[in-house]
Amino acid sequence: MSAVLRPEMSSNASIRCERITKRYARQTVLREVTLEVPRGTVLGLIGRNGAGKTTLIRTLLGLEEPNDGRASVFGEPSLGMTDFVKQRIGYVPQQPDAFAWMRVANMFEFVGRQYPHWDKEFVELSLARWQIPAERRLANLSPGERQRVALIRALAVNPELLVLDEPASALDPVARRDLLREIVARAAENGTTVFFSTHIVSDLERVASRVVFLHGNRIAVDAALDDLAETHARLRVPAGSVDLSANRVSGEVSRHVQPDGSMTLVIARDRGADWPEIVAAPGVRLDALNLEDLFIEVAR
Amino acid sequence: MNADRLTIMPGATEPIYRQIGSQLRRLIASGQLPAGEELPSVRDVAVQHAVNPMTVSRAYCQLEAEGLLTRLRGKGMVVAVGAHANLSPEQRLARLQPQLADIARQARELDIPERLLVQRLKSLLEDSE
Repeated sequence: MSAVLRPEMSSNASIRCERITKRYARQTVLREVTLEVPRGTVLGLIGRNGAGKTTLIRTLLGLEEPNDGRASVFGEPSLGMTDFVKQRIGYVPQQPDAFAWMRVANMFEFVGRQYPHWDKEFVELSLARWQIPAERRLANLSPGERQRVALIRALAVNPELLVLDEPASALDPVARRDLLREIVARAAENGTTVFFSTHIVSDLERVASRVVFLHGNRIAVDAALDDLAETHARLRVPAGSVDLSANRVSGEVSRHVQPDGSMTLVIARDRGADWPEIVAAPGVRLDALNLEDLFIEVAR
Repeated sequence: MNADRLTIMPGATEPIYRQIGSQLRRLIASGQLPAGEELPSVRDVAVQHAVNPMTVSRAYCQLEAEGLLTRLRGKGMVVAVGAHANLSPEQRLARLQPQLADIARQARELDIPERLLVQRLKSLLEDSE
């Protein structure tokens, strides 16, 4: 079938989800999460442990069924994805445990046969560069080696969409930088869409074009990284200066009241828009935030 | 120019595209990057420093719009002819605005008299001549 005729090719979104809600037993993990990821985006997903990052990723890929809402990849519903779409995705789960009984070389041969754009040369080069013993069984690899094998597998597919769930958690700094460079090269050369979750804020800051911050079961911040310093700031309001107890500040993302009654808020505005009037009130201070400050300020 | 002449610092409040832009502006203003000097490709900078290619390209576009860089067909970005001379002293001073503002703020916090600060700056200028 000609790919050109497929309706999803006209859509510019690699991933889209609308009002996804996911509950386990009585606990709500995601509440009405809406997201659209255009092609070529490198999106970094951050959030505290248990914020729902893995659940969101699995739901987007159709590995979990949401209680409400829907997700799609390349215009096709995530649940019941066709092989045509699956072949264009490279996915590395947080704990790669597939094919544990196979030897590394055999696994690559087996998996490679199922993908039309399999890059055998890339696999061989990467195994050598990352010093992975090809004759060892996957189960006997160290966590770091296991993670590297999973990354090589996902990249060898030459995916249009690369989804990585904490890909760097078991990597040393050198391997981590290697991975970031690989992500950047793919994005620059092929316009690959990358969706990755991480705890390493500096990694995200380097390679991502967009950051999504999951907090309290929902998306607290969704912003272009280049604009973040312009669109987000911290507001310090000393006790007794402005009474904010009854109302929200426009663009308010979070607020924390200190024991002395003073307040710190994170506020957001559109690019080129003005800050709300309160920033000019006496005693009130507006500070620039880097990504890590923002993360901690919102999540604490 | 080699991509490794740039320094990228994640964690700074200055966004990465501005870090790249201000470093290039300084290199051009000081004449360290002469007219016609070829800049590394967006891809090279991105891969070398593991930063997003759109971020690099945004920095380049901004400098192109300012007339400091020119896009040459088949060659990529080069330093524009007269990029250095095109700038008035005021424009070159504007490049130092963030550092000067920072020093002014810190001097105030440390309660340093204006006279002393200016004096020190003057003697630094004389030393570097």
